[in-house]
Amino acid sequence: MVNGLIEEIKARVMGAEPVEVSYTEKGYHCALETSPDKLSGVVGFFDEKRFYLECLLCTDYTDYLELVYLFNTHLAPCRVKVALKIDPEHPVAPSIAAQYASAYWYEREIHEFYGVLFTGHPNMAYLFLHNGIDHYPMRKTKVPVPSEDQARLDSFKPGEEEDTFFINLGPQHPSTHGVLRVVLKMDGEYIERAEPVLGYLHRMHEKMAENRTYQQFLPNTGRMDYLGAMSFNLGYVLAVERLCAIPVPDRAKFVRIIATELNRICSHLLWVGAYLADLGALTPFLFVFDDREQILDVLEGVAGSRLTYCYFRFGGLYNDVDDEFIAGTRAFVKRMWSRFSLYEKLVTGNVIFINRTRGIGTIAKEQARKYGVSGPVLRSAGIACDLRKIESYSAYDGLEFDIPVGGHGDVLDTYKIRIAEMENSLRIIEQALAKLPGGPFMAEKVPKKLKPPRGDVYQVVETPRGELGIYIVSDESDGPFRMKWRVPSFSNLMIFPELAQGVLLADAVAILGSLDLVIPEIDR
Amino acid sequence: MVNDLLKLAGSDAGKMVIGLVGVLLFVVVNALLLTWAERKIAGHMQRRIGPKEVGPFGLIQPIADALKLLGKEILTPAKVDKPLYYLAPTLIFVPVLVSFIVIPFDASLQVADINVGILVILAFSSITILSILMAGWGSENKYSLIGAIRSVAQNIAYEIPMLLALLPVVMLANSLSLREIVEKQQGLWFVVIQPLAFIIYFIAGVAETNRTPFDLPEAESELVAGYHTEYSGMRFALFFLAEYTNIFIVSAIAATFFLGGYQGPVLPGIVWFLLKSYLLVFVIIWLRWTYPRVRFDQLLNFAWKGLIPLAFLNLLITGGLLKI
Amino acid sequence: MGERGFHLEKEIIPVKFALVEKVLDLARANSLWPVTFGLACCAIEMMAAAMSRFDLDRFGAGVFRASPRQGDLMIVTGTVTKKMAPVLTTLYEQMPSPKWVIAMGNCAISGGPFVFEGQYNLVEGVDLLVPVDVYVPGCPPRPEALLEGFLKLEEKITGTRRFPRVESAW
Repeated sequence: MVNGLIEEIKARVMGAEPVEVSYTEKGYHCALETSPDKLSGVVGFFDEKRFYLECLLCTDYTDYLELVYLFNTHLAPCRVKVALKIDPEHPVAPSIAAQYASAYWYEREIHEFYGVLFTGHPNMAYLFLHNGIDHYPMRKTKVPVPSEDQARLDSFKPGEEEDTFFINLGPQHPSTHGVLRVVLKMDGEYIERAEPVLGYLHRMHEKMAENRTYQQFLPNTGRMDYLGAMSFNLGYVLAVERLCAIPVPDRAKFVRIIATELNRICSHLLWVGAYLADLGALTPFLFVFDDREQILDVLEGVAGSRLTYCYFRFGGLYNDVDDEFIAGTRAFVKRMWSRFSLYEKLVTGNVIFINRTRGIGTIAKEQARKYGVSGPVLRSAGIACDLRKIESYSAYDGLEFDIPVGGHGDVLDTYKIRIAEMENSLRIIEQALAKLPGGPFMAEKVPKKLKPPRGDVYQVVETPRGELGIYIVSDESDGPFRMKWRVPSFSNLMIFPELAQGVLLADAVAILGSLDLVIPEIDR
Repeated sequence: MVNDLLKLAGSDAGKMVIGLVGVLLFVVVNALLLTWAERKIAGHMQRRIGPKEVGPFGLIQPIADALKLLGKEILTPAKVDKPLYYLAPTLIFVPVLVSFIVIPFDASLQVADINVGILVILAFSSITILSILMAGWGSENKYSLIGAIRSVAQNIAYEIPMLLALLPVVMLANSLSLREIVEKQQGLWFVVIQPLAFIIYFIAGVAETNRTPFDLPEAESELVAGYHTEYSGMRFALFFLAEYTNIFIVSAIAATFFLGGYQGPVLPGIVWFLLKSYLLVFVIIWLRWTYPRVRFDQLLNFAWKGLIPLAFLNLLITGGLLKI
Repeated sequence: MGERGFHLEKEIIPVKFALVEKVLDLARANSLWPVTFGLACCAIEMMAAAMSRFDLDRFGAGVFRASPRQGDLMIVTGTVTKKMAPVLTTLYEQMPSPKWVIAMGNCAISGGPFVFEGQYNLVEGVDLLVPVDVYVPGCPPRPEALLEGFLKLEEKITGTRRFPRVESAW
């Protein structure tokens, strides 16, 4: 796939020089440099080949700014890094928002953090930052915000027209699960336009990473996505291990899988509860918390915390699992299998629930690709893309599990998929427990002070919400030079304005809930 | 002096005053009890205990809540339409109180046996909508407004099947007086003859009281708190009080019309009446903690395309059979 | 309170109805309805405190109101950013008196782990915005810690503690 692609790029795109790189070292298969005038040709090629835009990011190398476009296909991993150097004095680049809908937000993000102006972008309004910011925060040197950009700070000013009015859903609203704000233009109960406003919980993780060493940043990962903390922890640890080429003992790999899958069940359970609370049923919320507490007890025993875990270390684990953990996990798995029938009776078979969720928020395959959605939302559209299987990191390749997919792409599908995923997670845990090898839980000789070689890596993991990508640039110091988090909720939320168009307010809440958003992860 | 008072109490006007005081007392006690019961029942359905620390079994809890709400700052948002905003919580109480006047608690315990009792209840219950609309409009809050509009559409839609479901009973009993309807059920409860009407009435009743699965006017996950979003302290408490009293009234009418009211062996009539009523109240609470909320269009479709034709059919069949 | 936070002038009430005030305080302490206001990680632990195992409703504090007009207590659960600050202040102002604030978690107390040189989006402690009654440290605090925070707040309102104090082993 990769070789053929390289030949094709050479033939089709004028002047492109794609290079194949080692996937185990870098996390992507192919790198390509381009220039602003050739960008649209390159992007057009990938669009035609049905690649999706995985991530779009910017790095400030002081002498130049580098834009990195990561393209990938859904079913066979073939990740291409397209780099574009631009002048830091006059940072201008062509927009690709017309070809890839997901670039619409990524470009806005880069604009407000780096000051890059994208020509042809329909709306360069600020997405994250507050009024009163006077410089581009992610630039290495302090670059003041020019006055014409200051005007863009007030990202959304609703005005009222005849027969329509605006509703602010959030930042404090029970259904946004945190501090997301969605400005809705309403015609009666119908939504004409939805515009999410982010940044109410922007905690500067990416900026912070540049101020911390690799070890110091470790606790941040658990706070980014507090529901899937283990997955984020795992992703970061894997990325640094790839960067510094640290080996991991087998026992640690399996324990990581068990812990991550327990955490995945935890997250999906909370989603089920919170989603039903969105639909007006409050009791399932308490039932799932009851199950969830059982998992927390087990994980707390080894990780030491209930929510914001920091259990994995570079080269292994914080501490080894004991018999209590294994017995507790076994007991939980047994209990959980019997609980599904309860949820089936209480929720899945409920006529009101089915009528509320069937046929709304339908996502087509092509739409999913354009927006780069991932996780259960992508799978509901019928694309069997699960990175645990496709990129089989850690020790997932030795374990058997299915990828549940939906047929309709509606909200009910995402519910069914999450329930099925919990069942598959239980299967994974059972197998991992059976296969759990002995031996050390930590690699020997992990240096106290990491000095990774110069260069960049990309690492993906499948979190409960979808694809998490971590892009780290090292400059041989003991902390990252640049760290970009490609978070699943961010790209999943992008599709919301399109899904919400023309639906009832109640449906919009149901759709928003089905995306399983974790706000600190979106805002970072 | 004492004799004078007794004489006054014996007179019609006196009876009315005593009745009203009794009704007021009952309304307050009922609401306090129901808030406690709701939280306790919800707690037990959700694998927890519910209020427990405040008084034995948490029984003092509603009193603490009420006192706290009484002691809250009287807060009027700056932009509200003052007359409407002030009037709404008071007005919501009128239908509640009037409905109690005609409900027979026992064979001899009824404030006034009006021979068009059911008409009084149905007529006055429409005022509830008016006050909700006033609250929603007067609050100058978009959530409140949407909540109020939803409420009006919902109440109008569900009042029709409610009325149509009560009519067959009126035809069977040949009377509009509530007491006579109860008396006619001495042998057989009307629920046996009219099960469909009972179910339709009960569903419409749940919708009329804005309870889950029909709690759209105050749908928390969509509209924050619906029409009473901007109300605080005592005014909010009045809405709360009215809601719980309405639940009782809907259940009490169902008990009167279909379950034989105060009729029953051994125990005194009032005990039977309260037992039946609170059983239905329990079912309403049970529904709330089990079901999700329906969507607005589904709600209206259910009323106009489902309940109303069914209720009409039921009415027709009953009428036809009675003629034969 | 030192340099940070607020100095509230002691309220001067011309006539004090001692008994009434006492009863009201007792009622208030036993009916602390929190505003549904989750910011970040700590919000999940706040929910956990209200759920089956910990059950805040035992103390009458389980009625989470989505409208600030009906709440008595704002639990600031998580990081307050500069973009969120005006919203938080508005919410606080919308609540009717008497009202209380619990700062839950290190972020709400001082900015917690997110304070670093060059930070551009953080309010370092919610007490810079609104007066805080009880601080519950932790990252995130366990639900038990939040329960203790409630007990502390009750003690602050009534002057007496609900449960006997458990002496720490350390």
